[in-house]
Amino acid sequence: MPTIDLDLPRDPADGLAAVVELRRLADRLEDAEVVRALQDGWTWALIAEALGVTRQAVHKKHAKRVKELGL
Amino acid sequence: MFERFTRDARAVVKDADGEARRLGSRTIEAEHMLLALARREPFGLDHDEVLRALEAERERSLMAVGISAGDFAVPAAPVTPPKMAASAKVALERSLRASVARSDRRIAAGHLLLGVLAAETGTVPRALALADIDRDELRTRTAAWLDRS
Repeated sequence: MPTIDLDLPRDPADGLAAVVELRRLADRLEDAEVVRALQDGWTWALIAEALGVTRQAVHKKHAKRVKELGL
Repeated sequence: MFERFTRDARAVVKDADGEARRLGSRTIEAEHMLLALARREPFGLDHDEVLRALEAERERSLMAVGISAGDFAVPAAPVTPPKMAASAKVALERSLRASVARSDRRIAAGHLLLGVLAAETGTVPRALALADIDRDELRTRTAAWLDRS
């Protein structure tokens, strides 16, 4: 287990850079997990509920991309 | 604005799109322009070194909030064509301004690099600092290259 440092960055530049990277990581994780859920047979409605967003929102964001995967 | 771009500068913008896709990014950022520029000879940048610096910066920033990036080996899911993000748009605007300030008529790859290097904060200057790449020195060198070409 890596050690987890719960101290917040002291310099705002470090904190703001962390925000950028966290967003990027979250986007990437979402892209990958939506694909995985669909492959596992989840419906768009279920994925939307799990993400806490509307079905329209999740569909708009991912439908085109996953269609190219043939899902 | 694009009509003033040299053929190579247009190619840099296209290559930045390729860099973003390869890295699984939803957006084209200033750092992807930097990576595209680092593949070109005259600026003395090494593409792999810049890529490593960006990766190190990413890890360092996540580490600052207690996240070890290695724990999240997220597979790069295919993305739809990445969109030009604010950091890249600002870099393009600054390239234009750099060209005007130098009384150059065109926007060449060197101007794009000046535009990218103009950012005082954010991913690019942080990654460069981490890799001990002197931003001011690089700007001076780039300006000299533009003077010659």
